[in-house]
Formats: sequence, C-alpha cells, structure tokens
Amino acid sequence: MSYNVKLDVFEGPLDLLLFFIKRDEINIYDIPISYITREYLDYLDVMKSMNLHLAGEFILMAALLMRIKVQMLLPREEAEDNEVVEDPRTELVEMLVEYQKYKEASFALRELEERQQKYYPIRCQSENTVWDPALFLADVNLVDLGIAFKNLLDSMPKPKYYEIQTLKLNISQQAQVLRSMFANKKRIKFSTVAATLSNRIEVVVTFLALLEMVKSEELRVSQKTVFGEIYLTKLQLKESHVIADA
Amino acid sequence: MLSQTHKIVQALLFSAKEPLTSEQVELSIEEKVDLDQIIVDINDYYRQEGFPVWIQKVANGYRLMTREEYEPWIRRLYQNEGNVRLSKSALESLAIIAYKQPITRSEIDAIRGVSSYLKSLLEKNLIEIKGRQEGPGRPLLYGTTDHFLEYFGLGSLRDLPKLKEINEIMDVKIEEDDVEESDRDTTE
Repeated sequence: MSYNVKLDVFEGPLDLLLFFIKRDEINIYDIPISYITREYLDYLDVMKSMNLHLAGEFILMAALLMRIKVQMLLPREEAEDNEVVEDPRTELVEMLVEYQKYKEASFALRELEERQQKYYPIRCQSENTVWDPALFLADVNLVDLGIAFKNLLDSMPKPKYYEIQTLKLNISQQAQVLRSMFANKKRIKFSTVAATLSNRIEVVVTFLALLEMVKSEELRVSQKTVFGEIYLTKLQLKESHVIADA
Repeated sequence: MLSQTHKIVQALLFSAKEPLTSEQVELSIEEKVDLDQIIVDINDYYRQEGFPVWIQKVANGYRLMTREEYEPWIRRLYQNEGNVRLSKSALESLAIIAYKQPITRSEIDAIRGVSSYLKSLLEKNLIEIKGRQEGPGRPLLYGTTDHFLEYFGLGSLRDLPKLKEINEIMDVKIEEDDVEESDRDTTE
C-alpha cells in the first residue's frame, strides 16, 4: 500500500488513528481493530524506513493496539449475573473521542485567529507620561537599590591618597539627617540626598540608614525605570516606629 | 447624532492602551453609563458614516479596531511583519487549556496522546500559571490570559465556540437495528 500523506501532519498517534478512521469511513464506536493495527504498523514502518525519529508515544500506541487485538481474539468469558463485559476497545475509543473534540476546537480557534488578524487594534501610545508616583511607581527591590548605590559610588570623586579618619557618623544620626530633609516634603529624590554627601563613608552610612528606615516602614522606595531615579516617600509613622540606635 | 457621553466614550477609546471597561468609563465620567448600548450606538454611527473603524468587545472591555476590508492596505504598510499564526500543536494544547482550565500538563498530554510544549504559549502570554493542584507533586495548573481573549477576539471565555460532540464531527450513525436487537435480547 502506498502512502501519499505528509509525514509531519500528524500531531501524535491519536491524530494518525483518526486519519485512518476518517479516510476509511470507519465507525469510531466499532473500530476493526486488526485492520487499523495493520495500517498503523505499516505507517510506522514507512516512518522508520525514512529514518524518521519515532516518538515514544507512537510505539506506546502500537503496544496498546496489539493488546486490544489480542483481547479481542481471546474468547470472552460470559459474565455472570448479566454484567456487561467491557469491550477491550472502550478505552481507546474514549481517548479518540476526547482528542477529536479538542482537535475540532483547535480548528475553531484557528478560524477565530484568522478572523481577528484582519482587524488591527487602534492603540494609543501615550507620549506625555502623566504619572502619579504614589500610584504608578513600581516598587524597587533590593537589587535595584544596590545598583543605584553602586552607580553612586562610582560617580564619587576617586581619592588619590587615603587618609584614615575617625568615623564621626552613625546610622541613627544619618537617619535624622534624612528625616530633616523630609521636613516639609512627602517625597524626595535619592539623588537630592546624595548631592549633600561629600564622601564615600557618608554615602555608605546614609544608605544603611535609608535601608533601616525602609525596614521600619518609615520610608518607601520606588522607581520608575530600572536603574532610574529612586524616590523616597515618607510613610505615615505608626507610633513607636523609631529606628534603634545602631 | 451622538450625545456628549458618546463623544467622551470615543475619546476614551482613542486614548486607551488596552480594552476599555465600563468601570473605567464610569470612573472617568463619574456617573453610571450603559456602555454596551453606547457602543452599539457608536458602531451604528460608524457603519452609517462609512468609518474605517469599529469597536470590538474583547477581554471584558471594548477596543477600537480597523475594519476587515482595510486589511490589505495595512498589511502592505507593515509588509515585513506578516501575520504569524500559532502552530497546530500549540493550538491543540491551547484549545484543551481554554476549555478545561485550570489544567495540569499531564492532563493535557493525556488528551493529546503526546507531550505538549507549553513554553511558547507562556512566552506569548496566551496562557499563565494559575496555581498548583493539590496532591502528589503539586503540579502547576495552567489557564488562559486576557491576552488570549484579545488574540482570538473574544469578549470573555463564555464566548468560546461550543465544543462539538463527536457525532456532529464524524457523522457517526448508530445503527438503530442493533439497538433494537439488543433490546429484544434482554427482554426475552
């Protein structure tokens, strides 16, 4: 028997069986199992002879078909008390029926897809970015904050010589500095804060103070774009949310 | 003639980035509106005036679309971006997910009889992970997205085409003689 079928059109063994069933106008509820098994195995041989990789599912189905065939050949035991003996083909038929249902549904989706592709949406790409930071700014995560911090460090003037200084700063002190910057504002930019700082150690300590304040829910940090400006927003203080001395 | 409300709704549609919902319209107009009726009116008006656009209900909202007959020109405008269609297998998996969601991968595979490749559907934002199924292995559950509705031009999941029964598809005729015969067997 010659096959004039495209080999790549079958989505799987069920698809292949449905092809035989349709081609030969077989009643799906009364499949001539030895005929269809022969067709199926012939097809697998064709695939093998063309050195096509046979997916495991095809082999599995061959095994199922042969099992059903054997069960059909064996004399069926008469069931006692008029119980209906299950047809060995039932499981396969159910699989085919279920698969066919969704295969058909996929054709319906294809029609919808083709129809929809004829319409083009009129979509607004707004150019004036009106945004309320409180509503639209994405929350910044620790990594973003770290990257902004690194960028800041990199932009600091590089010292030519090093002088060991006594550390005059501490975190709670810098937290106070930050709080004072919020005196009459609800939101400030991190770059504004950074502009007031003169050396690396001040940046480090201020940054740590900032993290502490975020942790104690005194501040919220937000950012519009990755690596973009970080905004510090003062949150309503619940009582006793004061940073512990570092 | 369209009322002021109709005009406002049109302005909202022109400025919308995604399908416009009645909640959004009411938020903007600050009063209750019958958006469905307003859209019907505007669509009637567009049709009468021969406008090249219409308003489609997709993903629980409304969206302005060009009319079908202008597709050839638009396609020539974007000639390098031909319409990419989903593959047969992707569409099969998607159909199963759409009708049976939330569903696990192994349930999809069981219906198709082959293992399914869901990554591209996830990447195209047509499906998403809806959670995990209770039970052994806690497998991921998949479902369709709003973008799925937009992609296929569906107002909601209720607008999915009805699943056809096998008899309609295969034109199977159950032999009536057989049925009668077996009936007789049991009665005698």
